[in-house]
Amino acid sequence: MLNYLLKRLLYIIPTLLAISIITFVISLNAPGDPVESLLNMNSGEGQLSERQAQEAAYAEMRHKLGLDLPLFYFSVSSAASCDTLYKLSNRMHREVLERMAFTYGNWKAVANYYKCIMNLEKSLPNLPSYEVKNQVSALYEKFDSTQINQSISQISKTFNKNEQLKSSISFLSDLINSYNYLLHQQQQLNKYIPVIHWHGARNQYHHWLSGFVKGDFGVSYQDRRPVSSLIWDAIGWTLLLSLSSMVLAYLIAIPMGVYSAVEKGSLSEKSITSVLFMMYSLPNFWVATLAVIFLCGGDWLSWFPSPGADWPSRDAPFTEWFPALAIRLTLPLICYTYGNLAFISRQMRGGMMSVMGQDYIRTARAKGLSERQVVWKHAFKNALLPIITLFANIFPFAIAGSFVIEFIFSIPGMGKLTYEALMARNYPVIFTVMMFLAIMTLLGNLIADIIYAFADPRISYSHKRA
Amino acid sequence: MKIDLIKQFRKNNLAVYAARFILVMIIVATLADLLANEKPIICSYKGKIYYPVFHAYLVDVGLSRWQNDFQNKEWSSLHYDWTLFPPIPYLPQNIDKNNMHSVSPFAIQQVPSKHWKHWMGTDELGHDLLSAMIHGTRIALLVGLVSMSIAGFIGIVLGSAAGYFGDEHLKITWTELLFNIFFLFLAFFYGFGIRSYILKDAISISVLNFFPSLLLSLLIFLAVFYTGNRLGKLAGTLPILNKKVYIPIDIIICRLIEIMNSIPVLFLIISIISIAKPSLLLVMAIIGLTGWTGIARFIRAELLKIRSLEFIEAAYALGFSERRTLFRHAIPNAIAPVLIAIAFGIAGSILLESTLSFLGIGVPPETLTWGSLLSEARQSPSAWWMAVFPGMAIFLTVTVYNLAGEGLSDALDPRLRK
Repeated sequence: MLNYLLKRLLYIIPTLLAISIITFVISLNAPGDPVESLLNMNSGEGQLSERQAQEAAYAEMRHKLGLDLPLFYFSVSSAASCDTLYKLSNRMHREVLERMAFTYGNWKAVANYYKCIMNLEKSLPNLPSYEVKNQVSALYEKFDSTQINQSISQISKTFNKNEQLKSSISFLSDLINSYNYLLHQQQQLNKYIPVIHWHGARNQYHHWLSGFVKGDFGVSYQDRRPVSSLIWDAIGWTLLLSLSSMVLAYLIAIPMGVYSAVEKGSLSEKSITSVLFMMYSLPNFWVATLAVIFLCGGDWLSWFPSPGADWPSRDAPFTEWFPALAIRLTLPLICYTYGNLAFISRQMRGGMMSVMGQDYIRTARAKGLSERQVVWKHAFKNALLPIITLFANIFPFAIAGSFVIEFIFSIPGMGKLTYEALMARNYPVIFTVMMFLAIMTLLGNLIADIIYAFADPRISYSHKRA
Repeated sequence: MKIDLIKQFRKNNLAVYAARFILVMIIVATLADLLANEKPIICSYKGKIYYPVFHAYLVDVGLSRWQNDFQNKEWSSLHYDWTLFPPIPYLPQNIDKNNMHSVSPFAIQQVPSKHWKHWMGTDELGHDLLSAMIHGTRIALLVGLVSMSIAGFIGIVLGSAAGYFGDEHLKITWTELLFNIFFLFLAFFYGFGIRSYILKDAISISVLNFFPSLLLSLLIFLAVFYTGNRLGKLAGTLPILNKKVYIPIDIIICRLIEIMNSIPVLFLIISIISIAKPSLLLVMAIIGLTGWTGIARFIRAELLKIRSLEFIEAAYALGFSERRTLFRHAIPNAIAPVLIAIAFGIAGSILLESTLSFLGIGVPPETLTWGSLLSEARQSPSAWWMAVFPGMAIFLTVTVYNLAGEGLSDALDPRLRK
């Protein structure tokens, strides 16, 4: 038994790692620059000193977020590309250089070319017009050879026109030379040679994961608050809704399931079963929308407060805010519950029916026990266990289901938090919520398995299954 | 087996009705252009007969052009000699200027005749709801079809590998294993690694541009991997390198299923959508790529059972190859329960897609789906028809597929056979 538990716990680790890697890979591909989103900077124009200050702040934030590290423990690339590019702080430069290194196959020549652009830019005198500066800095973004040729000839033209630029003409010729060298010294074969680089534990994934384990989920782009505090505020609502909905679902579903299994074939059983089946495929966002339209103010009935109304204030006496809150949460709770209710009672019915067909039930009947005793003492106890463990499986889905319900009834829980984060492209929140839900699902499965292992003596885990 | 299954299925009245309903939906989806269209099906104009609905297909693929008389004209305002309009003479994107601001189906509508009536009302901008519903059928069915084809393919391949080979039936030499792993890495490198810029550029232009490049990548991948596999087989025949090893394929795939099951799909889609451009194809692909676990489990369990049956032993005894036994004898006999998982899977994916388009994520705003129609009801709560009809369509479709799945599982259950 202990063996099994240990094994089961160990099994969780690779799954968790896989999920964290998936989340990490998705988060890497998020558009935009996390550092810029946090610093709120406007890049480009401005005085040189101001820009340098900005660049320094950028580099510092980048270091703080651990983004100046390699991505993973190791990296696989072609021999053409450079393995230390991650140190460069400007994301666009990094991408362009990476691409150039790959296309020309000669990293050293590319690096030389990049240095020449930087030297040229630094050497430019302070002129009232930005023309030449813009032309030079546009070079940073170009990787296509025709485009680079175009920009270089444009810059040369500007140099010829403007006498004041004479001082930095040698840097321009350096740049042109370095570019020609790059074009002539292409090493295309390098592209096709795979190389593995080992980076060790100092990498972004390690940094992110260890931060996550310590409870540091990053900072929200929207209001600079730590994601953990945002989630902490929101999770209470979601837990309140999902837990009370689960309890409600079980309380109603179990007797209903037992009844429909025992009274199989009767008219009331048939109607219960078909209503449950309908509820099972009734989309909850439809029911919720209908409820909001028809029951919450508007043109029809106004039995319930509309979703846009203010929440009851906690400062009011208990007898005031509690009923207000209860009324407010009634509709969301119903929309939240009925699907699970239908699912649980269908399972209960199935379980009861298969138990009622067993030999020991016939024996119990043959002993002369009353039907009531047979059903509740013998059958029910045996059918209940799989239903209890269902809890662990449904719970994560109940949390995921909060997404729509909280959106429609504007309840400030995890679902609404994620929805707003999604609309604002606030990635740290999105990815943290995803990790949280995955972990919850895993824990749910684990708990279900453990309860099963403890409660059902027939299940043996010590032997390998045939 | 098949005839038996159909016979059992027929006994279940509800399931038969469900199947008929699905058939009707398929017909509506295929004929959507004939049922709801701004163009006449046949018309006679200035003495000549035209087939505008069909002609539009030719124009769309660039094979033909519109006659000058029809260019930039409103189809309803032309003076035909005689004409046959579709039953719903609107396209979903047509704006009826006389019936804007959500006109109820029961209100008095400003229409020339009963034929032009908006049977399900209009939305805020004057779009005909019924027409949008008819064209939305296509998307709903497409979502189910595409995502479950992907899921079915992955599920059947992985599930049958797990069930048939188990942990102790796939035996290859060490050399072959190492060759395979090494060449898998190389295949990935040459197929996708060094082509990543080409693929990225292609997808930034359009999805259509992406497919040929992706296909080429896949071909390179398969070619390199296949070469490695052959080389490994060859090297494995050498006397020193032929020590054998079992591949615990069942454990590997079961682990994979567990990982997939613990990923919350809705949130996976949300996080992928948050970084990619909204596209229906992407949503269908993600649903398919994450939804195969049920199918894989079904077929795995079935093959575990079948593997020990006499006819597989007979196939072995007759000296059939592993491949022939698996594909010709084992899988065809295990496929029936997969249908159950697919029917429920279609219901699930339609529900998921409509949830997403209701929330306005994943599906581009110009694509009209039942879910996005329903979400319009949130903006104009007084237009009850915007909430009732699209929601009803989603509900009925999901119910019908669930009923079909239920019917199939009853039909396959030996205990219920009469």
